Amino acid sequence: MILKTMKSESRYKIPGGKLLRVFLEYSEDTKTIQDIRITGDFFVYPEEAIEELESILLYTPIIEEDLKEKISRFIETNDVTLVGLTSEDLVKGIMMCVSYE
Amino acid sequence: MFHMSETWRLLKTGYADAYTNMAMDKAILEAHSEGSVPPTVRFYQWNPPAVSIGYFQSLEAEVDTLECRRRGVNYVRRVTGGGAVYHDKELTYSIVIGESHPEIPGNILESYSRICGALIKGLRHLGINSSYAPINDIVVNGKKISGNAQTRKNKTVLQHGTILMDVDVDTMFTLLKVPDEKIKGKLIEDIKERVTSLKQVLGREVAFDEVADALKKGFEEEFNIKLVEDSLTREEEELTKEFKLKIFSREEWNHRR
Repeated sequence: MILKTMKSESRYKIPGGKLLRVFLEYSEDTKTIQDIRITGDFFVYPEEAIEELESILLYTPIIEEDLKEKISRFIETNDVTLVGLTSEDLVKGIMMCVSYE
Repeated sequence: MFHMSETWRLLKTGYADAYTNMAMDKAILEAHSEGSVPPTVRFYQWNPPAVSIGYFQSLEAEVDTLECRRRGVNYVRRVTGGGAVYHDKELTYSIVIGESHPEIPGNILESYSRICGALIKGLRHLGINSSYAPINDIVVNGKKISGNAQTRKNKTVLQHGTILMDVDVDTMFTLLKVPDEKIKGKLIEDIKERVTSLKQVLGREVAFDEVADALKKGFEEEFNIKLVEDSLTREEEELTKEFKLKIFSREEWNHRR
């Protein structure tokens, strides 16, 4: 069986002014994340947490509740501060990559 | 007993290329976190002009790198978050200070506000009323005149930012990518309405040194300190060279996202 990888991206203007741009590769069959880049003009403290977050999101199913759970837990346990975006915004940016509207 | 104010270091490092400028801010951050230099305020400029992008931005998505090369404009990724900036006719400042310094709020937004307070007091000395616009801007009559970005590493704060002396939105948009070419014209007109400069506000050309003198006073008043002009230490000069070579001039860094 060949797993087909889909490429997608989203632009989400966050309330408050920052722009979140997510670049996503996901498996069409299993709807899991194969690669993800979370980019934009927001602030994350410490900055390196974003790369760590991207790596723990690999192979996660693109399901709103799962993403929300995983992202919020990561932010809390690693004492990460987000400025200009929230974990809900991150979930929204990822979900927008797979919505067809 | 009377209160003796602290002395901090002021660096005026003049013009440098983008890689050197970003390397120097990181070098000061490292030197201060090791305790080898006092809290430091730096004023600087860019030659050649440059685009800097925030740590989290995608270079290819935000910057027309081909057009930058064609025009001899450098591009560099910052260690700080925030947005893309075209650095040309501006004063750029940086401040490096311990996270636990009594003048620096632990809360990140409050510390932005406090450091921007020094710039606002400085602008007052030029006869300009401005205010802090969260998260990281300073505005005059509702228009942006300054953008700022902060990181914290090794218990040390580095905040850098710009005061626009003049602004060229048209050139800026030849260097930055826009989501939709069809609305580029409209976007440029919008930005022109939302951004201003010292030249626009004061209706005259303003020299770099005049701005630097005003901001120096602003920092001294806001933090109740004395700024004394000095130079980089030998260690900082070495670190600057190292960071330029190993980080900021490298594709692995600038194209990493």
